[in-house]
Amino acid sequence: MPILTTKNLTKHYGTAPNIIRALDGVDLEVNKGEFVAVVGQSGSGKSTLLHMLGGLDTPTSGTVIVDNHELSQMKDEELTIFRRRNVGFVFQGYNLVPMLNVYENIILPIELDGNKADAPFVDKIIDMLGLGDRHNAMPNQLSGGQQQRVAIARALAAKPSIVLADEPTGNLDTKTSQDVLGALKMTASQFHQTIVLITHNEQIAQLADRVIYIEDGKIKSRGVVPQ
Amino acid sequence: MWIIVITVSLIACILTAWLCHRYVSRAVASVEAVLERILARDFSSATLLNEDDRISKLAHKANRVTNMLITEAAHAKAEKNTVQGFISDMSHQMKTPLAGIAMYSELLLDGNLNAEDALEFISRMKISVGKLQWMMDSLIKLSHLEVGTISLNPSLEDIGQTISEAIITVLAEAERRRIEISVSNFEDTQLLHDRKWTTEALVNILDNAIKYSANNGKITIAVEPLQYYTKISIADNGIGIPKSDWPQIFKRFYRGQNVKDKEGVGLGLFLVRTIVESQGGYVLVDSNPGGTCGTVFSVFLQNC
Repeated sequence: MPILTTKNLTKHYGTAPNIIRALDGVDLEVNKGEFVAVVGQSGSGKSTLLHMLGGLDTPTSGTVIVDNHELSQMKDEELTIFRRRNVGFVFQGYNLVPMLNVYENIILPIELDGNKADAPFVDKIIDMLGLGDRHNAMPNQLSGGQQQRVAIARALAAKPSIVLADEPTGNLDTKTSQDVLGALKMTASQFHQTIVLITHNEQIAQLADRVIYIEDGKIKSRGVVPQ
Repeated sequence: MWIIVITVSLIACILTAWLCHRYVSRAVASVEAVLERILARDFSSATLLNEDDRISKLAHKANRVTNMLITEAAHAKAEKNTVQGFISDMSHQMKTPLAGIAMYSELLLDGNLNAEDALEFISRMKISVGKLQWMMDSLIKLSHLEVGTISLNPSLEDIGQTISEAIITVLAEAERRRIEISVSNFEDTQLLHDRKWTTEALVNILDNAIKYSANNGKITIAVEPLQYYTKISIADNGIGIPKSDWPQIFKRFYRGQNVKDKEGVGLGLFLVRTIVESQGGYVLVDSNPGGTCGTVFSVFLQNC
């Protein structure tokens, strides 16, 4: 059952004749619990795609449906709340709040939604990601790999319908990348978490259940949906 | 005077009570609506409830419960499909060697063969039997893992010993093919793994490295600690794996594009992945077909 569907998703920048087709009619389906990697070179449209999927940007035409909600039908305010509850983001730059410690960073999205964190669940994630002894550490006391693990924990803590990860290891060296990816893989299988991972690196994409290749704003190959 | 005060407070009370009542009934009604849909097996969750209030949050959570159940049901169904696919794949894979054995034994029983042909047929039968044997062994191991009758018992053990055991298992075959296996220096550490099954996984990778390398090839094993994982890499200088095959090779019964003519059924790497991932680790492949460096399989095991 798809949790995420795009239909003829198109994003153009500029006006004719200098039109840039960042996305050119992308049809995509991601099933609940699936770990999908979208692979493309820089400029292929993969980041634009992720921004559309997360409702961070509006398409020129076409639709994005997340958990039966069509994003373009929502008002800005609704979209903000929808994102907060349903989408977990992991970006290349970690985006941790420097004044908050590890634990506070992780539960921030939950508190923003006016909820109390599910403490045992959050602790479980923190332990699984090897951050058990870093609860009170500040982001600047952590290595890059650890910071990204905190960002992954933050994305998972609100139990989102879907996690969108945009080049999560883009700022990390190969060794640290492999350390962080293991964490992502483990959480995917432990929680049956739906994950869309955007990357240019085919080595990294291997961890996904399915690899989709994107080129010039179009899907070139969509992989085999696992049974 | 008093009458006015009492009347006003009474009105205020009634108003508050009415508002409370309205709020509660709306909350109950919205949750009820969601539950009603679940009971009707309508999972479209079409109502837009992205407002910043309690009712919306409650309805949202009810929605999430539905989603969780759907995911779990889908997961169970997928597992059932896997098992079904497994059985049908398996029977399909067994057909060819079995047909071969049937045919050769028939011909041998007819007896109109010269000694040379007879020997040829017997050796072909032997290959088919070997293939069936290997498949059977792998299937038994897999079924144990899939059904969970054998649970992996990861515990903190020296990884050096595990690697040695894997090398010893494949040593005879490597020597026969004059392939050198070397291990780069490393500091032995304790890693969270199940020794028996991890050895099995490493043996499968080594078997492949030997099988897909030319005689006099070279296999290098290295151990490199990361912060959370330790990477065990097994590099060969064999024929390599094309990039387009990378996402496929760990799938059950998948045979690489450039190895269709070689012996094998496509279970080895599937087993590797299943074993390693059941212990919270993962496997990556890197390869350079046509080049001189061959293939590197990296197994990542958790440090603790």
